[in-house]
Amino acid sequence: MLKVENVKKAFGGTIVLDGVNLTVNPGEVVSILGSSGSGKSTLIRCINGLEKLNAGRITVDDFDVSKPKELAEARKRSGTVFQLFNLYPHMSALQNITLAPIEVLKRPKAEAEAEGRALLASVGLGDRADAYPAQLSGGQRQRVGICRALAMQPRYLLLDEVTSALDPEMTSEVLDILAKLAKSGTTMVFVTHEIEFARQISNRIVFLEKGVLLVDLPTAEFFSAEGGLAQPRVAQFLSKMRKD
Amino acid sequence: MRLDLTILAPHLGFLAEGALLTAQVCALALIGSVVLGMLVAIARTSQRKWLNRLAFAYVDLFRNVPFIVQLFFFYYGLPEIGIYIDAFTTGVVALSISGGAYASDAIRAGILAIDDGIIEAAEVSGLSQGTTFTRIVLPIALRTSIRPLGSVLINMILTSSILSTITLNELTGNAKIVASDTFRPFEVYVVLLVVYASLTYLVSLGITLLHRWLNRDMQEQVN
Repeated sequence: MLKVENVKKAFGGTIVLDGVNLTVNPGEVVSILGSSGSGKSTLIRCINGLEKLNAGRITVDDFDVSKPKELAEARKRSGTVFQLFNLYPHMSALQNITLAPIEVLKRPKAEAEAEGRALLASVGLGDRADAYPAQLSGGQRQRVGICRALAMQPRYLLLDEVTSALDPEMTSEVLDILAKLAKSGTTMVFVTHEIEFARQISNRIVFLEKGVLLVDLPTAEFFSAEGGLAQPRVAQFLSKMRKD
Repeated sequence: MRLDLTILAPHLGFLAEGALLTAQVCALALIGSVVLGMLVAIARTSQRKWLNRLAFAYVDLFRNVPFIVQLFFFYYGLPEIGIYIDAFTTGVVALSISGGAYASDAIRAGILAIDDGIIEAAEVSGLSQGTTFTRIVLPIALRTSIRPLGSVLINMILTSSILSTITLNELTGNAKIVASDTFRPFEVYVVLLVVYASLTYLVSLGITLLHRWLNRDMQEQVN
């Protein structure tokens, strides 16, 4: 279980997360919606330990990310896919994927490479294993980014606006893969602006506003008039996003 | 006056000895200054305040003092307080320390230019700091630093000619002796020009190949 308990985070005087509570159970797909600056990405960065909490607690399968000794174990259980891919530019697609399994999990190189190739094939990049990031399109880079996270066999996949830097065609390349992962039971925390897609794949939808978790509801209820839409801020956000 | 290189024939062996010594000093100092430059670049980009300050003090000190003064201090100054180092070692050490200060600047710039997101990706995947540095930070930093680093190294080879002032019989030192023996400075220094130019050309060729290899993913853009 991934548990966020009363987490507070501020950058200088700006409060970004103001007492957030969230639980993600294995097998669940939870989408986090909210306007830019609502704290969605910061929440992800707190879960994978890139930001220190000012207050509260985050545990990944009972490993506390704020304790240096437990952080490594917590990080082994979660994999992050970034908005701007953040691939290692000097390594081939395959090397990007196998580096951490070989160095951190101490997997034999041949095994890690076989698995890496299988992952690449599963996202339709079987023939680009030796290509460098600069030689791939944005959509292909992000697919490599997803493989890199999956290669560590994480129990929780954290996705931080993974399609925001892509054009619609490339976005659908990436979303197709995420839909497949959701179907196969991968646990995902999915920060996104793709509302329709979130609706299709999520078990639950969470709405963040100015660092406060306003709504946390099963997907169908979130989009119903007496559920999420009863919140004026959510209704306003959804109607605005749909118009765009 | 006409150029008559045959006059140098009896002295070629002596000049070659000097050239060999120059090559040896430079090869060692090249390794020394790159290793030192990397360590200092790490220190200068480190989170630890004291390490940071120490590294900055080192770079400022050795960049702001003429090389010949550093050299004289090591070779003629230190024996006064009981520290004797032979000329060859002094030469290698002095070149490494001075070259390291400049090399660290080039490498540091490369490190600072790396996108934070790439380091964060390495961090969340659980890679240790050491592995992150050797497998991610350094290779990416060198992609951009290798050219300015090359200039530093070439400059160091040129600076090695000053080592003759501390009795080291490297190329320039021996050439001076031959020039005063034969009274033919024109021929002697023509040879010297060519040898130094070839030596630095070799290094810059190596740098170009290294640069191409480090940026092998975007061959078209860098060529």
